Amino acid sequence: MELTISRLLANDMVEHCLQGRPHEACGLLASHEGAVIQVFRMTNASGSPVRYSLDPKEQFAVYKRIEDSGWELGGVFHSHTHTEAYPSPTDVRMASEDVPYVIVSLAQEPASVRAFRIIKENWADSEGQIEEIPVVIDG
Amino acid sequence: MAVEVRIPTVFRKFTDGNSTVSLEAGTIADLVDQLEAAHPGMREQLLASDGQLHRFVNVYVNDEDARYLDKLDTKVADGDTVSLLPSVAGG
Repeated sequence: MELTISRLLANDMVEHCLQGRPHEACGLLASHEGAVIQVFRMTNASGSPVRYSLDPKEQFAVYKRIEDSGWELGGVFHSHTHTEAYPSPTDVRMASEDVPYVIVSLAQEPASVRAFRIIKENWADSEGQIEEIPVVIDG
Repeated sequence: MAVEVRIPTVFRKFTDGNSTVSLEAGTIADLVDQLEAAHPGMREQLLASDGQLHRFVNVYVNDEDARYLDKLDTKVADGDTVSLLPSVAGG
């Protein structure tokens, strides 16, 4: 398994993260036929440099849009403003979707983008297994 | 007609991978019971130990958040769409 995304969409995601500083930024990815087809820039309802959360209303609207378009939820992304692109214990504890979690690290330039699957027996478990998924940037 | 339930990715292991499930229910509580009957394990995903909706699961009836309606007593009817959304967060 890998996460395939065009250069344009990957740049869009990174730009949203850069614009969100000093707070973490977050968003959703829609995929179709195995590739990311759209980046949804979301509000970080936590408004924090060390936490993020989607606004449930915004999330609902985007899920609806994804469903109505015949796409799939392709991933969840967020930034780490000063740490590496690797899931933090909070990321693991809060992981709630069975999709790639994409982390954009702004700790260095250029930003690094990595994706992970966070596998938990029960979604409410605080611990889980982290598996990296290769990110393929097209173009 | 029935109530259509939209299942998020994390719960699809209970629904044979299906993203939607159709069932007959009169309230959200009833819907949770029906889901559990058809897809054992679902109740534990949706309800906390106090029997209320898990705080990290948002339930929408059509376009309304059930938490701001009557929570588990929120009525549902044929033709309604119920969306289950896990909170998405991290750090």
